[in-house]
Amino acid sequence: MRDRTLLRVEALELHYQTRQGAVHAVDGVSFDLHRQEALVVLGESGCGKSSLAKALMRLLPRNVHHTAGRVSLDGVDVTALPDERFRREVQWSRMALVMQASMNALNPVVRVGEQVAEPLRVLRGWPRGKALARAAEVFELVGVATDFLARYPFELSGGMRQRAVLAMALVAEPALVILDEPTSALDVLTQASIMNALKRVKRELGTSFILITHDVATSSELGDRVALMYAGQFVEVADAERFFTAPAHPYSQMLMASVPRLRQRARPEAIPGEPPSLAAPPGGCRYAERCPYRFARCAQDPPAFRLGERHRARCWLHADDAQAGGSA
Amino acid sequence: MRSRQGAAAPEPAAHRGGWRDLRRLLFYTVKRLLALFVTVLVGVYLTIVIANMGGQVDELRRVQIRSEAAEAVRADPAFQDMPAEERNALIERQVALEVERLRLDEPFLVRSVDYLQQALRLDLGRAEQMHSDRGSRDVYAIIVERLPATLLLFGTANLLVFFVSVFVALFLSRRYGSALDRSVVALAPTSAAPGWFYGIFLILVFAFVAPLLPAGGMVAVPPPEDGWAYAASVVRHMLLPVAAMFLSQIFISIYSWRTFFLIHSSEDYVEMARAKGLPSRLIERRYILRPTLSPIVTSFLLMLIGLWSGAIILEQVFNWPGLGSLLFRAIGYRDTPVIIGGVVIFAYLLAATVFVLDILYALLDPRVRLEGERR
Repeated sequence: MRDRTLLRVEALELHYQTRQGAVHAVDGVSFDLHRQEALVVLGESGCGKSSLAKALMRLLPRNVHHTAGRVSLDGVDVTALPDERFRREVQWSRMALVMQASMNALNPVVRVGEQVAEPLRVLRGWPRGKALARAAEVFELVGVATDFLARYPFELSGGMRQRAVLAMALVAEPALVILDEPTSALDVLTQASIMNALKRVKRELGTSFILITHDVATSSELGDRVALMYAGQFVEVADAERFFTAPAHPYSQMLMASVPRLRQRARPEAIPGEPPSLAAPPGGCRYAERCPYRFARCAQDPPAFRLGERHRARCWLHADDAQAGGSA
Repeated sequence: MRSRQGAAAPEPAAHRGGWRDLRRLLFYTVKRLLALFVTVLVGVYLTIVIANMGGQVDELRRVQIRSEAAEAVRADPAFQDMPAEERNALIERQVALEVERLRLDEPFLVRSVDYLQQALRLDLGRAEQMHSDRGSRDVYAIIVERLPATLLLFGTANLLVFFVSVFVALFLSRRYGSALDRSVVALAPTSAAPGWFYGIFLILVFAFVAPLLPAGGMVAVPPPEDGWAYAASVVRHMLLPVAAMFLSQIFISIYSWRTFFLIHSSEDYVEMARAKGLPSRLIERRYILRPTLSPIVTSFLLMLIGLWSGAIILEQVFNWPGLGSLLFRAIGYRDTPVIIGGVVIFAYLLAATVFVLDILYALLDPRVRLEGERR
């Protein structure tokens, strides 16, 4: 039987060098992702979500202090690949990224079609006509008229550009697409129509997604699984159903309570306090300072406790319900 | 998606865009040409008015004509024994003739329009005081005589600075923060001193302390007969002034291009190109150089027109027969035709450059070419 696991991430770390010292942007993140599954990575601004995407794609900025961990794609450890092979064999052809601020993600002086077809031509050596024909197919798939292939980015609206970037991510039929805040700069209607396009892609192509967002509403649309990130760590990973109905970690619970809902009397509850500085993360549980259930053990760093099949939470409250385990 | 591969994928519309762009480009070209013509017209006319001080120079000229005529009549032995009244009448006739010849009797406004027409036809007239080395009074000849020397010296130095700095800057932007990068940044303030300042030191060291190179001039005296020997002599004379200009400009130039490339290599689309797994050479060419070609070409062409004005002090220090010192002298002599001639040629060169730039912008940047179509 074929292994259902597409991506396995183990103890991934990415620290930046800054004047204040090393910033632990991604600090020991582990998870796995099945084929045709969408994982939503939820988190407040500055919790390391985008750094996670960069670490996965090996798009490291100049000030990297240290990286560690293993990323396996289809059972192959891609972290072991040299840069050049990673670039040619994994980047974009197996794993693509739609970056935050993709409003400016298109080269202003090159026709959109050429840019979408570019990975096929450069990485696979396809002739221009064939690559453009394929670009036209993905354009249709994400809901952009193929006329726009001959246009320049400045002639496209924001939503259109976002779709073009999405088309670019899908053009080489990667097994995994990472979307970093793909809709945060768009109006609600455009957001909804892009989310629908994503659902269609997921259904038709069977692509796996990692959707990075701070928007709980968006995440519930597409996600099969939800990972909640806090101060560089995944504090809870669970099936979406479980996460939205019965979250285990206190942060998850408080986050859900902070979301305003229609037809509900209760006022949304803000979480007091602020996330800790990633330059000097506190020893022990990183959420302890804001947690109402804090007790003595919180001074120690909690492992990810296994609460069920593919459900883990990093909180001492669950130490008795489960035993610590590896990646969920 | 694979299952759809067979279905009719329409021939991409990329080709259709070509015609639309060409039509736009033509329209744009005509529009720009008209605008530039008006600009040159206004610029040259303003120069004519200013160089003539709005007609005030005419008064000076009349005085000058009168004194010259009086001098000529007085100095001529043929008129020695003429009665004073007749002599004065003669002088008056001479002055009247000269005034008529120069059309000083017509209002300045009328003449200024004629001057404008002549200037635009590059009919630059005759100098009042100055003459070319061959003895010509023709303003055009005076200016054109100096042009090759200026272009040779400043062209060599500036092209060298431009290309060296762009390539070194691109190289440094790839190695941001390296020891080499930091040392170039540290050297940037050396450009605070002008070229002639370095020139003086270079002359001191290479012409006097260690007499390897000539201290000034453009060619040995007497000039070598043989063509190759002549060229070699010119090159030897050029080494020091070119080195002086290069030294004074290179570090600031590298520094500013390096910063320019650094800024543009952190654009979102460059980051995206990296994520796409494109090779770094391609990223540099298509995502950094290509979108920034407009400012690069602009600075290149502006550098080229900058050549025209030469450099007054550097030309003096190296005793180089260039345009800078020519125009400087013309201003000193208030030789209006030479000043106007210089400005007219400069205006034409500037307009031609701006026109070439406009066309290049449109070719290089679709946002310029297609402007207005969608709004």
